[in-house]
Order: sequence, then structure tokens, then C-alpha cells
Amino acid sequence: MSFDGHPSAGPSGAAPLAEQPLLEAVGLSVRFPMPKKSPFADRDYLHAVRGVNFKVHAGRTLGVVGESGSGKTTTAMAAVRLTEAYDGAVMFEGRDVLKMGPEALRKQRRDMQVIFQDPYSSLNPRDRVGAIVREPLDLMDVGERKDRADRVKELFSLVGLRPDQMALFPHQFSGGQRQRISIARALATNPKLIVCDEPVSALDVAIQAQVLNLLRRLQDQFGLSYLFISHDLGVVQFICDDIAVMYLGEIVEYADRPTLFAAPRHPYTAALLDAAPSLARRKSAGYSRAGAVKGDPPSPMNLPKGCAFAGRCPRAQPRCKDEKPMLRPLEGAKVACHFPLEG
Amino acid sequence: MTDVATNPPQTAAAPAPAASGPAVEAVSPLRESLGIFLKNRPALVGTAILAIILLALLYGTFFVTADPYEIVWAPMTPPFEEPDYALLGTDYLGRDILAGLLTGGWPTLAVGAAAALLTVGIGILVGALSGFFGGWVDDLLMRVTEFFQVLPALLFAMVLVTLFSPSLATIAIAIGVVSWPQTARLTRAEFLRIRELEYVAAARSIGAKNSRIIFRVVLPNALPPLIVSATLTVGVAILFEAGLSFLGLGDPNTMSWGLMIGQNRGYLLEAWWPVTLPGLAIFLTVFAISLIGDGLNDAFNPKLRSR
Amino acid sequence: MDPLLSVRDLKVEFDTRHGRVTALAGISLDVMPGETLGIVGESGCGKSITALAMMGLIPNPPGHLTDGQIVFEGEDITRASPRRMRQLRGRDISMIFQEPMTSLNPVFTAGDQIAEAIMLHQDVSKKEAWEEAVELLRVVGIPEPRRRAASYPHEMSGGMRQRVMIAMAISCRPKVLIADEPTTALDVTVQAQIFDLMRDIQEKFGVAIVMITHDMGAIAEMADRVAVMYAGRVIEQGRADDILDDPRHPYTSGLIGCIPALGREAASAERLPPLAEIPGVVPPLHLLGAGCAFADRCPLVHDRCRRERPPLAPHGMAAQEFLGGHAVACHAAEREIAA
Repeated sequence: MSFDGHPSAGPSGAAPLAEQPLLEAVGLSVRFPMPKKSPFADRDYLHAVRGVNFKVHAGRTLGVVGESGSGKTTTAMAAVRLTEAYDGAVMFEGRDVLKMGPEALRKQRRDMQVIFQDPYSSLNPRDRVGAIVREPLDLMDVGERKDRADRVKELFSLVGLRPDQMALFPHQFSGGQRQRISIARALATNPKLIVCDEPVSALDVAIQAQVLNLLRRLQDQFGLSYLFISHDLGVVQFICDDIAVMYLGEIVEYADRPTLFAAPRHPYTAALLDAAPSLARRKSAGYSRAGAVKGDPPSPMNLPKGCAFAGRCPRAQPRCKDEKPMLRPLEGAKVACHFPLEG
Repeated sequence: MTDVATNPPQTAAAPAPAASGPAVEAVSPLRESLGIFLKNRPALVGTAILAIILLALLYGTFFVTADPYEIVWAPMTPPFEEPDYALLGTDYLGRDILAGLLTGGWPTLAVGAAAALLTVGIGILVGALSGFFGGWVDDLLMRVTEFFQVLPALLFAMVLVTLFSPSLATIAIAIGVVSWPQTARLTRAEFLRIRELEYVAAARSIGAKNSRIIFRVVLPNALPPLIVSATLTVGVAILFEAGLSFLGLGDPNTMSWGLMIGQNRGYLLEAWWPVTLPGLAIFLTVFAISLIGDGLNDAFNPKLRSR
Repeated sequence: MDPLLSVRDLKVEFDTRHGRVTALAGISLDVMPGETLGIVGESGCGKSITALAMMGLIPNPPGHLTDGQIVFEGEDITRASPRRMRQLRGRDISMIFQEPMTSLNPVFTAGDQIAEAIMLHQDVSKKEAWEEAVELLRVVGIPEPRRRAASYPHEMSGGMRQRVMIAMAISCRPKVLIADEPTTALDVTVQAQIFDLMRDIQEKFGVAIVMITHDMGAIAEMADRVAVMYAGRVIEQGRADDILDDPRHPYTSGLIGCIPALGREAASAERLPPLAEIPGVVPPLHLLGAGCAFADRCPLVHDRCRRERPPLAPHGMAAQEFLGGHAVACHAAEREIAA
């Protein structure tokens, strides 16, 4: 099982090692300061991520899915400290990443790497791609210096690129190939965890399939764990073992893949599934959406008192607007809803 | 998808499939820019003018042996009247103008270059720290920058030069001190932009320290507009030097184009050439530099590449 | 029924640093009144250029429309004067773009911009145009339309801006609405709303829609007929159901196969099988040879494919004889049908 029934229990040092997740976030919160309206006013904050708990188990993939503004990318970036959290803990093999000093954190990064979303801005345009893949080896002093050139070659063939392309510059590659270079860079230090931040959303579908298959093959080969961020439920269903659905900075549903897709419990999850285009929904068959959600997500600057989804929810009751639902266990899933859907 | 229509080279430039394509030659972004620069006609004209000026300054004194500080003929001899003694005429003291132009070029260019280096040096340092770290560092440095920006530049430079006796070094420093804020702001803006790009986060995620990120990752990518600005600053600094000299604040012991103008300006109505000829030299140099600067700008600006 | 808009053998070339490349290599399409034609393909296949050509908006330079016709209600608009084109654009043929943030003018209110579009083509007063703009905002489902008409684009969400774009596009009751990836920049729940709205508007006003997209799911949901494009050519064309259920071109079936399945059907406890892949990438346009552009990536490739480009033909017929039918440009599909 990918998670227990006590989201607020915190990391338990007593648990046997095999049960210990590779990465566990507890009460992770991120806020961004807003510009002051006047020099004397109190500073406003945008609460991008609000008390999120999740676990990534060794060799498994946790998908974090949500729309823009849901805080999914911020959550992932805070977990590997590319964004600073202001509250919570992120335990990586039992040690809190958020409390590490700069040197310890730098060393820790060997084990947790990142693949970024935009293949056109994630590679330094002034470096040759061979140097880009080699850089983590040099910076984190991995392996013998003389072996590194061979390691880079090996990484290139692992991700399906030719070693003779190492001298080229990023702009000479297509989006899909650049994403392969990003993957090679992330693999270089033999990490345990790779955060994949929408790694295929900028790619054409045909190329997307190539990269998704590659990511899964590499996971099998090296026993990698992925924290996989995506807005695309189809992609998430393909690659993830566990899924957290985020809405406005909070997890609203958390379950393993079969459970979630067989029976979404949160109306928002159901709405996402309903809204995703699918080959099965045909205009010729007069397809129309029943109970589709209305409007856009509210601004994270002024959050409602009750459930953040209540304003758009087809099932909303007066209680939803007043009382915030907590994430609680429900038949193998966890859901933050007063009136969850039937299983 | 609309960008495909307006910018077809982007799609056309995709390399051949990984499995079957031929080996492609590496093209660095800098070399690509150089290629664009070499196709830019105005920029090549600018480069040619500047090259001719530099060659003349380098080898001219082999042919014109007159001492620019010595009186060689009657004062205010017009050009071409005494080609054997003073081809381009003499100034109000009877000194050879051609000799003055050829020796006075170096100090002028040197002040320009030194002032530009200083400008860019201070500007990049302040701008980089400000843009990279943000927060109170940014607040503090930007207030300082604004202070220097609102100072009347020429007046402040004049004060500096009068306080510290006019020498080439003081003039260069004075120009540098008053003109760095613009470079600092440009650097800061570039850093703010690049700081948010994913390759900076990528560098951090593979364990790069701040110093490496600033100097190895962000700065090289911020350089193109800074190079353009530095090039143009050389031109501005040359004009500045001329301006100070014109006001009589040049270094009286070193022949420079500005000094020639400054010393002869009182006799402009009697003799136009002692002022006009160095003025022309300054004009040509600055013109060439700004053509080169524009060419570099086009070469570095990817949005103009498809033209 | 006669087509409302017909594209015949349209050829568009672009000047690039690789010399002149062919972006559209002679494509033919028909848009019937009131239907939705989906044009689907990957980046660089020429689908957006097709849309721009229909609007008479190919940027020149570097683009050149070198051959072919675009016939709208009997008039070849490739030969129309700029003045005539301006008349047609917005009134008879209008367009909505991918990025609603940059296609609206940030310094005018939504109402101003819609009213402006109305006054450009209709002889009405400013006040009447404004009232019409408010009405249009109501039609496209914007709550409190009167208040929202006075809002600036930056005060609106992405979905709302796209609704404003749609309101502007339908302000003169056009006969053809060209939608170039209208929902790519939007979230999926908002995309669903925009799709619903577009179907609604089609029903209400009988407008024909040309929908440019890379998403086969969007095609299923929106299109009556589909043209699949690859490297500047239409390689398969037919009714949406035929294309989706019985794709004949290996590229089309590849595109359909590489989409991850979604929902209950795929909710197995087992790990899902690997996705179907189309190997390689789209070839650069300046390197296209004489054969089929898909040959290097095709699982069914044959010697003939590299020598000879397959024409777009419905199982053994000329494409134009079989409008509305299922046409495919593939030697292998032809063999299969012959067998």
C-alpha cells in the first residue's frame, strides 16, 4: 500500500526500514510574499501550497495532478528545495531536507534529481550537450574523473541519443531530443528519486509517447522513484502508481491508480476525468457533458473559508461553503470532501 | 502553433532523426551570431571604418614625423596649402594638425575604452548582485544606482575632474562613475529574466553554488546585450571626453582629439579646420562604433534572425 | 451540398535560411456549411499555415502563396484585393487564436473591442454596438455581461478571455469560424467549457468551424470530418468516426495509438502496457525527398514508398470524386485494400 490512513501522523522512526518511504512530505507549505501596497501595510502572502502530505515509495511513481495554480509544481520544487518552503518537513530516507545546510543539501542532490518542463529553457544554450550531461558528475564529484567521459557516452545511449551528438549545442536538437538530454543529465549521478515536472507537456503526442516509455523503462532498469507532476490525467494514469489530486494548494484526493481511476471520489477529480478529451466521446454520438464544472478556479490570494472547490462544484451544499473538509480515509482512498461520490 | 507560421525556420531546423541522421556539425550560438554579423552590411562598413582609423593611428606616425606639440609652420595655415610641412594645416599655435590627429587618437580611444570597461565592470557587478539576490540587496543597490542616475552626469564629471586634476585616468574614472547605472539596470533586468529560466534551477539541482550560477550560467547568457551596450558606451565615452576637453577640462599635457577641439574653439571663426578635423575624426569613430554596436545587437537578438 | 469554403491544391512556400521550403505542398480541403472540419497534426505539419491561408494572413515575406485556390462562396479569395479580404475577414470568415492573452488588446475593455469589431462591418452607432457586445458576452456565457464588458483583458481569467475572443469572432455572424488550437493554453476543465460553448454556437448560428488541433481527443469531441496533415500534406481525410475507428494511414493509427488511455476502461490493477510509439521525428521540410515523407518512421515502409509519393486517394479513386469519403495517401493502405 502506498500510504497509511494517518496523513498527519508524521514520519515514524519506529517503522521498519522496508516500510519507510523514500520521500515523505509532512505539512509542506509554501507561500510567496506579495508586493506591499504601502510601506506600512502588512505584507500579503500568496499561499501556493498549504499543508500537503504525501509519500514517494522506493521504485514507485507518485503523480501529482492538477490545473494551473493548483500548486503542483511548487509542491515538487519545494520537496527538492528548489523553492523554499516556510513550514513542514520533507524526509528523504529519514532526514529532513528542509533542515539541511547548504553543503549537506548539495550532497543530497546526488540522490534527488529533476527533469524540467520546458525543453527549450532547461538546457543552458551556451553549453555543449555533452558538457551539460557531464556537469553533475563534476559538480558532485561522482566516480573517477577519467571514467566520466565514458559515463556520459553510456548515458547518451541509455536515453536513445548517439554519442557523436555530444559536441552539439541544445538549439540543434528537437524538443523530444532535448528532453532526452535532460533525462540523461538527471540520471548521471544515479539518483534514487527524480522529480519530473510536466516532462512531456511541451511535446507532440508522438514524441510524448516515446519519452513516457523511456521514463518507464529507466524506472524498471534502475529502480527509480518518480515524483511526477502533470496536468494530463491520461499521462498520469499511464505512468503513476499513486496519485495526489491538487486543487488550489491542497491535496483533495489521494489514492493508488486503480482505485482512483475506477472510482474517483472527489467531485473535482470526477470533473477532471470528465473534462479530459477522450477518443470515446464523439460528436457524432451527440456527446455532451452532464454536470460539468463552471467557471475558473478562485484566486489563491483570497481563499474561501470553506471548501475551495465549492464555488464550482455541482454537488456543493451550504455546509461546503462554511466548513473546510479535511483529507480523510475512505475505502482505500483519501478524500477531502463532505459529500464524496459513491465508489 | 501560430509561431510556426511566422517563424518557419524553427521547425525547418529540427535535426534529422536520432537513429538514422548523419552526424551534424556543432554550431555554437556565438558562431551563429558571428555568421549573422558578417552578413550585416552596415556593421561591416563600421568595422572597416574603425579598422582604417586604427591602422592609421598605428602606422601613420611612420609617415608623419612632425611632433604634434611643436610649431611647424605659420599658425592657422589651411589644409593642403603647405602639403610638405602640414598637410592638413596648422592650429592656432602653428602645430601640425595631422600629427595631432594621429597621436591624439590613442588617448581619445584609450579614455573611451577604459571608461567603457569601468562602466561595464561596475554595472555588471552591481546589476548581477542586485538581480540575482533580490530582496534587501536589490533594494540597497538600486537606491545607490538611482542616486548616481539622477546626478547631472556632465556636471558631476566636471566636479571630479576639477577636484582631482585633469589627467586621462581621472577623466576615464569620471566618465565611468557617471555612466555605470545604465549598464547596472540592464544587467539587473537580464539577471531577473534569466534567473527564472529552468536551466538556472537545473544548475542548482545538480549542486552548483551561487558563484558558479552567477558567473558560469547566468552571466554568459546575459552578455549579448551587455556587449552591445559596452560597445556603444565606448562611443559615448569618447564624446564625453571630447565634451570635457572642449570645456577646458581635458588633460593639457596629452594631445587628444577633444583637447584639439577645446584649445582651438576660440579661433573657430578665423580657422574652421583645427576644430572640424578632430571633430570629424570623433564623428567617424563614434559612427563606426555605433554601426558595430547595432550589428552586434542584430546578431545576438534571435528574434531578428529569421529576417 | 456545395462546400462553403474549398481549398484546392494550395501551395505555400517560406523563405528560410535553408532556402525556400515548401510549407504546404498542394493541399485540398472542403468545409461544408454548418459542419466542423478538424485539421490535426504535429507541430510543423502546416495546419496553422492552412488556417492563416484561409484568412488571407500568410505573412509575406517570408511566406508566398505560390499555387492553388481558396474558394469561398464561389469567389477565389487568393486573388481578392486586400480591401475585399478585410471585408471578408471578421464578417464572413473569422478566427480565434491559441493565446487569448496576446490576441486581445490590453489597453481597451472587452466591450470596446467587441463593439469595435461590430462597427467595422456594420453600420451601427457606438451605443448599439455596445449593447450588441453585452448581448454577445451573455451568449458566450460570461456572468454579469454588462459589468464584464467594462473590464480589461488582464482582469479576466484565461477562459473568460477566450470567451471574449469567441464573442468577437461571432459578432458579425460569420459563416466560417477558424479556431487555431483554441484551448491549448487553457486548463482542461476550462477547455471542456469552451468546447461546449463552440458546439453550442455552431448549433445556434449554423457556423462552419475549422478546428486546428494536435489533440485527437479534441477531434473526437468536436469534429464531423477530419483531415490529418503531415509535413505539409493531407495524408488522410474522412468522417471523424471513420478516421478514429478505422485509420488507414500508419501515421494516423500511430497518432491514435500513442495517446494514453484514460478512465475506468484503463483502471486495471496491472501496469498498463507501453504506449505505441512512432519512432523518430518529423523530417525537416527542407530535407524532404521524392517519396512519402513518413517513410522513415513507418512500420509498413516499402521500396516504392521511398521512390514515389502516394497520392491522396480514396480506396482506388481520385480524391475530388469522393468528397466526404475516406481518402488516404499511402501505398500500403492501397495494397491492403486491393488484397
